[in-house]
Amino acid sequence: MEEQPGLSDQYRMSSPWPVFVALGLALSEIGVFIGLFPVAVFGLILFGGSVAGILTESGYATRPWPTLVGIGVLLAVLAALVAVLQLPTSAFTLANVGEGPLFTRLVAVVVAGAVMVAMGGAGSVAEQTKV
Amino acid sequence: MAAGDLVLTGLMAVLLVGIAALLTRIENWRSYTPLAGGGTATGETVVHREKPAGIVRWLTTVDHKDIGLLYGVYAVIAFAVGGIMAMLIRLQLVTPGGALLGANAYNSILTSHGITMLFLFGTPIIAAFANYFIPLLIGADDMAFPRINAIAFWLLPPAALLIWAGFFLAPVTENMIEPAQTAWTMYTPLSVEQTNPGVDLMLLGLHLSGVAATMGAINFIATVFTERAEEVTWANLDIFSWTILTQSALILFAFPLLGSAIVMLLLDRNLATTFFAVEGGGPLLWQHLFWFFGHPEVYILVLPPMGLVSLILPKFAGRKLFGFKFVVYSTLAIGVLSFGVWAHHMFSTGMDPRLRASFMAVSLAIAIPSAVKTFNWITTMWNGRLRLTSPMLFCIGFISNFIIGGVTGVFLAAIPVDLVLHDTYYVVGHFHYIVMGAIGFAAFAGIYYWFPVFTGRMYQRTLGKAHFWLSMIGTNVTFFAMLALGYLGMPRRYATYQFDGAIAPLAQVQTYHLLATVGAVLLFVGQLIFVWNVVQSWLEGPKVEDGDPWDLERDGMLDREFQWFDRKLETAVTDGGEDEEQSALTGARSDD
Repeated sequence: MEEQPGLSDQYRMSSPWPVFVALGLALSEIGVFIGLFPVAVFGLILFGGSVAGILTESGYATRPWPTLVGIGVLLAVLAALVAVLQLPTSAFTLANVGEGPLFTRLVAVVVAGAVMVAMGGAGSVAEQTKV
Repeated sequence: MAAGDLVLTGLMAVLLVGIAALLTRIENWRSYTPLAGGGTATGETVVHREKPAGIVRWLTTVDHKDIGLLYGVYAVIAFAVGGIMAMLIRLQLVTPGGALLGANAYNSILTSHGITMLFLFGTPIIAAFANYFIPLLIGADDMAFPRINAIAFWLLPPAALLIWAGFFLAPVTENMIEPAQTAWTMYTPLSVEQTNPGVDLMLLGLHLSGVAATMGAINFIATVFTERAEEVTWANLDIFSWTILTQSALILFAFPLLGSAIVMLLLDRNLATTFFAVEGGGPLLWQHLFWFFGHPEVYILVLPPMGLVSLILPKFAGRKLFGFKFVVYSTLAIGVLSFGVWAHHMFSTGMDPRLRASFMAVSLAIAIPSAVKTFNWITTMWNGRLRLTSPMLFCIGFISNFIIGGVTGVFLAAIPVDLVLHDTYYVVGHFHYIVMGAIGFAAFAGIYYWFPVFTGRMYQRTLGKAHFWLSMIGTNVTFFAMLALGYLGMPRRYATYQFDGAIAPLAQVQTYHLLATVGAVLLFVGQLIFVWNVVQSWLEGPKVEDGDPWDLERDGMLDREFQWFDRKLETAVTDGGEDEEQSALTGARSDD
């Protein structure tokens, strides 16, 4: 056991993560479907982060970072795949962000995925370099 | 637009940083040994050695009993909201021109009433019982996936907020976002053409509630299959667990389909796909997909209440459930058949008559397992030593209402009758006999029967009986009047009914509407008494000191959940009378 166990180790019948998994999923859905870029990005990050957290807490993963990177890659690849399959190449322009309804949503998902990959990578590096 | 985006981005950033900070803080709480008095060095009080104190306990709990209570409170609040909406509908229809609301407001309330009662009250109240009692009944420590259980619950509050979003947002957005006016069936093309973003929000809320139900179902299936105590076999598994298992299987097949159909509808609305457009799949595709979910949904809602009645009724009849095996078989039969009847909602759409006939046959066939159950309940009571306690009264009321709701359903399943009565109040009366008269009644029976277990106190018996009689009379006055309105040709969903006398006899129609409203008032008063009884008894009712408050031992019917309750009472006494549940048991474990 760690030196300073958190809530999950302290209380066997409590977990701080489920509320945030649910909130993350709800915000992701609202953001992506209604087309609210910031809500989509933050909702997905919250969802991915909480999933990584809850898997670590319940012992399915030893560290959260690889999960976070995995979810990020999965989301980004899926969104990119939909974009490639559904949109003409002429739609892939910076000016189209915020204009094309589908393109904007997919960019939001890719951005969220990229942020998760970055967060996962940074977390992993920080953890390994910690004394 | 840019400014709005900026504000939203800032808000989301603050939210995320806040959540991250909160999580870090919670996860870094210093480990400590709770002191004897419950106080700690950090100033937090500990009421339970495995859970933190206060509101954090309820936000972070993964204990099936806590989650059951959360589901229960959520469902009762949704029931109150849906009930107030129902009262508004009934008061509106007292006069042919509409007494209260404009047409748009009426349509909004009508839509939300249906969705609230089915998805935010019906499914959660069943989940409340199942969460609290299935692990106790099968001798499990908890659900198979406690965290998924908590996630499933916490998806529901955002779902409710989204479903009701239009009501909150209409005043602040100058009616840019209004409540959905699609009716609960969300038929295309109407639901595609309503540009109101409130419809999108409602659809997202429904989607979330579907995700929650599916997660719950997976959990219950895994729990019943893998977490049973050694001595609980398939042969002696209790009837409530059987119905929850069947219900979960139905959810597993039905709800993901609803989720997919909703996503298709959202795409049609927002991204110009043509799933339900004439040039694409056609508007009728929605009806097929919706009712392929929608009819099993009826059984998703009614099978567990049937299980509750099958469990509770024998306790107060002093006899074991008659034909237990056949009650289980009929549950499974209904579960299978429920997927072969969906098009009986679509008899009047002009579909192929040969298909129609086959759907009629399967729909009529469902009467057989339903009747098996009904006769078994009646035979269980036959020559029994009946004790007319509140839970028993609600069980008997269930059977009575279920017979009327069921028989009117048999009529509606017949094509020629349906073509006449389709889209009239007859249909509304029929299904309300089931959803209120049966499902609602079974929920009340369950709440009263297990009240001592989850509160440790006894409810007020006189108020319980007043609740029953007002509900029973109210239900029958309201919904029988609706059956009559249907025969008179009154179409459903109308905000007003200023007809030409040649279409329907207006004076009689108004009289029956008035009767239905009088019945609804009786129902409303009954539910006020119910809420008062539950709240006051929970706070101040006499403490239950006997682990067998219903005297079930006498007939050898003390189930596991009451045995657990008895152990809990005993340990509380040996523990020095401490009120906190399970403290001695769990304390021993956490001290390991």
